Amino acid sequence: MTASQSDVQPKRSTGRVMSWFQASGAVVLMLICVQLVTGSLLAFYYVPSVDHAHTTVSFIEKVVSSGSWIRSLHHYGSQWLPFFVFLHLVRLRLCEAYKCHRVQWLTAVILLALVMAAGATGYSLPWDARAFFSTRVAEGLMAGLPLVGHNARLWLLGGNEISTLTLSRFFALHVLVIPFLILVVVALRLISQTQRVALINHSTIAAAVVFLALAIWTVRFHAPLGPAVADVNADYLPRPGAQFLWLYESLKHLPGGLGSIVGVVVPSLVVFVLLLLPWFGVGFLKHFSQHRQGLIATVILASLAVWVVTMTATSYLSDRRNPRTRQQLLKQQAEEQQFRARPFEATVLNLGGAAAQTQPGAPPAYIRFCANCHGAHGEGGRQGALKFPPLIGVGSKLRRTVDDVVGLLNDPTAYGLEPPMRSFATKLTDQEKRDIAQWVVGLK
Amino acid sequence: MSNETPPGTGNRRSFLLLFPLTVFAGILSSVGVAAFRLLRPRLASTSNENWVDVGILSELNGAMPVLKKIATDTVTGWAVTRELHQVYVLAGNRVLSAVCPHEGCEVAWDKSTNRFSCPCHESYFAPDGARLTGPARRGLDALPSRVQDGKLQVLYESYENNSAERIKRS
Repeated sequence: MTASQSDVQPKRSTGRVMSWFQASGAVVLMLICVQLVTGSLLAFYYVPSVDHAHTTVSFIEKVVSSGSWIRSLHHYGSQWLPFFVFLHLVRLRLCEAYKCHRVQWLTAVILLALVMAAGATGYSLPWDARAFFSTRVAEGLMAGLPLVGHNARLWLLGGNEISTLTLSRFFALHVLVIPFLILVVVALRLISQTQRVALINHSTIAAAVVFLALAIWTVRFHAPLGPAVADVNADYLPRPGAQFLWLYESLKHLPGGLGSIVGVVVPSLVVFVLLLLPWFGVGFLKHFSQHRQGLIATVILASLAVWVVTMTATSYLSDRRNPRTRQQLLKQQAEEQQFRARPFEATVLNLGGAAAQTQPGAPPAYIRFCANCHGAHGEGGRQGALKFPPLIGVGSKLRRTVDDVVGLLNDPTAYGLEPPMRSFATKLTDQEKRDIAQWVVGLK
Repeated sequence: MSNETPPGTGNRRSFLLLFPLTVFAGILSSVGVAAFRLLRPRLASTSNENWVDVGILSELNGAMPVLKKIATDTVTGWAVTRELHQVYVLAGNRVLSAVCPHEGCEVAWDKSTNRFSCPCHESYFAPDGARLTGPARRGLDALPSRVQDGKLQVLYESYENNSAERIKRS
């Protein structure tokens, strides 16, 4: 309906629906601001390392005031953003911006690519099961690229395998490189704005309404946080974020190896063609596409929309229809709920080399008599040719209860030990022996 | 909206102005409040007293200050931070924090001159911790200590720098 209107009036439609449609730019700007603010706030707590990422994200979720809401805003904002950038592109197509407002057109196309890239890199950061699998898929998509696949994978992962380096790379891309590019693009777009912006118009109202909707949505729904990578069972069913469901579903129906084409090559080509569109009307390109800019844009945008909507709907329906999948997803949801309800568990961090010193609780007698050989932590050690076994985990061995260890300290040979382990029968008081035994047996 | 307002739409205009302004004020304040709550410093709880063993009494009797390292665990956000502190045990089971009350470096016992010296800004302290010379404004801080089951225990605390009086840091 609106399409036919604007085809008749290429400059600027004054129709009612159209004027609301023009607000898409303001909504995109508002959502980008929300992403920047919430992202910065999350970065105050997040640590991009495989052993702390999940801990810090659960800390944000469970302990930090407002953390859960801010994270939800960031999570769902990232899914709404591509949708509104796409709407904005459609609106620019309707007023044929690629002819008269090239900067608007180009920045919108680049922005679509950038917000998708931001979503893809951000998904790995919580380092929960979902994140891990999405990193795996990104790895696979890169590896499957023709010609450059081998190196693309290595460059993406920062090594041979998914590791903490991979997470650092995704983090740097997600919080530094991509936001910087987005800011540049947005700045270019805003500078090119010649029209005076009124304080109130449809744009600001639309932006306000969309934020309200997002705020209410995020209060109602939490951003998902699955179990840590280490706690994942084999039957875990990972599902990507809403903005990537189309890709996930497409990969199910494509023969293996074509995934990279659909997931990386085709989107890149689409972006490339859309970027070149303003120049299809000039120069030598004019010969074969003089009046076809509009047609090309329409075909590309419409097929994108049809493809994404179809695939997203298919994935949603297939998850609902398959009873086993549905059950497993419900179970995962329940587990996530349980995880959320459990109190937060802090990790122990050693500051200033405290680890190399005594653990709190190591009995003084242990430090005095045992630590020289067996290590301050019971980690074992060696002096020249002599090797001293670690005491960590000794409690799980045969004949190593607290009473056994006390006996062992009195008479090591009776417990099968050889010199240089000697008897401490006279050197330690009974209480000291018991303290040491209790501490050693508890070492893990 | 166009700039030339038709007469009689003043009320509608002011309403239209009010609505987005209210919503944007709401957005700013709600996100602002959330941001403030999220960024507010997390104070480690000081309610539970954490006595740490320093050593066995029988070992600690000496004329010279004995350097001991004690580890404390503090809940700091998502991590329990395990930190090492140096303390000096004096005769009579007095325990001094090695932290210089000037800028917080750790003082060393200098055997040859029989005094504590701070490696950072040359504050010097007597064997009992009293201030001798240098920029520090008070002597070394004595930590609360007690004897239990033949062991000397200490309650590790830190104090404000550069005050003449000892003020517990909170």
